[in-house]
Amino acid sequence: MTSKKPRILFIQNLVIQFTLRGRVLTAIRDISLDLYKGESLAIVGESGSGKSVLMKSIMGLLDKNGSIKQGRIIYQAQDLGQFTTEQEWLRVRGKEIAMVTQDPMTSLNPLKTIGKQIEECVVLHQGLKGKEAYEETLKLLKDVGIHDVKKRYKQYPHEFSGGMRQRIVIAIAIACKPNILICDEPTTALDVTIQAQILQLLKNLQHKYGLTIVYITHDLGVVAKVADRIAVMYAGDVIEVGETHEIFFNSKHPYTWALISSLPQLGSKGEQLYSIKGTPPNLFQEIKGDAFAPRNQYALKIDFLERPPFFQVSDTHYARTWLLDPLAPKVEPPAALQAFFAEGRQYASD
Amino acid sequence: MLQYIGKRLLQSVLTLFIIITIVFSLLRLMPEEGYLGAAADKMSPAQQEIYLTNLGLREPLLVQLGNFCMNLFQGDLGKSVTYRTDVPVTTIIAGKVTYSLLFGLGAVALSLIVGVPLGIMMAYRKGRWLDRLGTGYIVFVVAVPAAVYYLVIQMYITDLFQLPMLFDEYRPITWILPLTSMALAPTASYAMWMRRYMVDELNKDYIKLARAKGVKERTLMFKHVLRNAFIPMAQYLPATILFTITGSIYIESLYSIPGMGGLLVDAIQRQDNTVVQGLVLVFSSLGIIGLILGDIAMALVDPRIKLGKGGGVR
Repeated sequence: MTSKKPRILFIQNLVIQFTLRGRVLTAIRDISLDLYKGESLAIVGESGSGKSVLMKSIMGLLDKNGSIKQGRIIYQAQDLGQFTTEQEWLRVRGKEIAMVTQDPMTSLNPLKTIGKQIEECVVLHQGLKGKEAYEETLKLLKDVGIHDVKKRYKQYPHEFSGGMRQRIVIAIAIACKPNILICDEPTTALDVTIQAQILQLLKNLQHKYGLTIVYITHDLGVVAKVADRIAVMYAGDVIEVGETHEIFFNSKHPYTWALISSLPQLGSKGEQLYSIKGTPPNLFQEIKGDAFAPRNQYALKIDFLERPPFFQVSDTHYARTWLLDPLAPKVEPPAALQAFFAEGRQYASD
Repeated sequence: MLQYIGKRLLQSVLTLFIIITIVFSLLRLMPEEGYLGAAADKMSPAQQEIYLTNLGLREPLLVQLGNFCMNLFQGDLGKSVTYRTDVPVTTIIAGKVTYSLLFGLGAVALSLIVGVPLGIMMAYRKGRWLDRLGTGYIVFVVAVPAAVYYLVIQMYITDLFQLPMLFDEYRPITWILPLTSMALAPTASYAMWMRRYMVDELNKDYIKLARAKGVKERTLMFKHVLRNAFIPMAQYLPATILFTITGSIYIESLYSIPGMGGLLVDAIQRQDNTVVQGLVLVFSSLGIIGLILGDIAMALVDPRIKLGKGGGVR
């Protein structure tokens, strides 16, 4: 289904490096990823796996010491990776690709009324002025579920609650009428009831404006609610990508298994919650083989020597693990996970 | 807002009263010979006693203080004892205040015109040569005692450009050096603050969002960052402005400018209590007004501060 949609953006063999006090850190290691029009893609992974860096590179917001060393980011037949000047980026940033940031409490300018902050975007990207821009801003406020818009327009960020502020941040993002919306942990700073509202709002807006949304998150609960497809990242690499049900109920990579096993819902009472042993690799060093191998109880000898290619599981599902090689021994996921998989497939087929 | 200002004014009257009491009492602890000056040898002990009694120094301290305050309410600061005998203190200060104001305001204007844009440019071009140059200047001015570079300027710059060393109010050229010398330190602090607060703001999340929104870097600087960086500035500016006006004691004596700073030194040396009291009152009032103005200015630029309701909470 998703694979039949046209690609809106794709990344090929992307390598991003940062220079920190003379040492080189490779944050993104040879990633290729497709984004299809109108879908919701979730990028999951632990802190430091490179999710945010990947998205920042799409918007040209990498820190000054970071740069694209190799690869391409193709959007509308132009390579965003080749952009160097601010002028080039301003054609895309905000206008075509917009972003919802993590912490709504600090993401708004405290000295400007929220109306002005949204209007700034309207003026910038839709070319409206004066009364028209004002009307458009009010409409956007209504769109994101804010009442009494004329009064709210004149209020400052500190007069809003966290959830309301996140709605305003979203209004700013869609004010630019973008094609792609990147949501960087849009709900981490919010409590659970508000989280659900915000996710629902994003879904509605996606429908209304035909947005393609990329969620960056480490919250698998969020992912399950909103994503059509999931890309799992580990140590700067996408190690498994597939449709949501494929990743949740038929994942192939041991790291994905470990992630899903760490969900609190999965553990049974009285048992200690599963956690992945060890720490992620040092990105300053060159990584040989599969980056997850040292923490992987199913690791094969070749995992330490050579980086696995993407093995195709289905039309939409790929995983980077030698376990899928025809020569590899047959390995089953942990028992608890197998039960979860079975339950999930049962549920899906009903 | 008005309620808040009223409250602050009342508080400051109280503060002023406390300052006056302390200074008043300290002055009365000084040895009495000081009041007599060079005339001490020519007076018999009985004459001295009469003289001191006439000055009101034989009354109990509280009565003296009470009298002083009563007169103060009527705008009378008393008469000078030794500095210019029997001339009202208000007249003496009024004659000097113009110079201090002119120099103080001039120096402040100069340092604001140079310092604030310098700080902005340093933040804008952080890490480039302008930033380094500016930082070097700030470090120099802060690290080297003012007395040293004041003297160097007076000695060598006057020589270099053939400028007169001393102040002469009818020759505008003699205003230049004292003004620039006075402006050096505040210029450095304004630049330093401005740069610091702007860099602080630049690292905040709302700047990231504004960038992601597609706002140009320059617009970002001047529309988003600048005003936020001005909040902490607004609070301190009035106080530093008044500090510059009153804090010119050294410059005034170096260039023989007949301002309030020189007067204070003279009055203390000659133990002219009434003049010292009057000056302390003027200086501390200016300081307190500066603080109040700072708070009001901050409330004006920052919508998060609502004065009056539960006090000024940041």
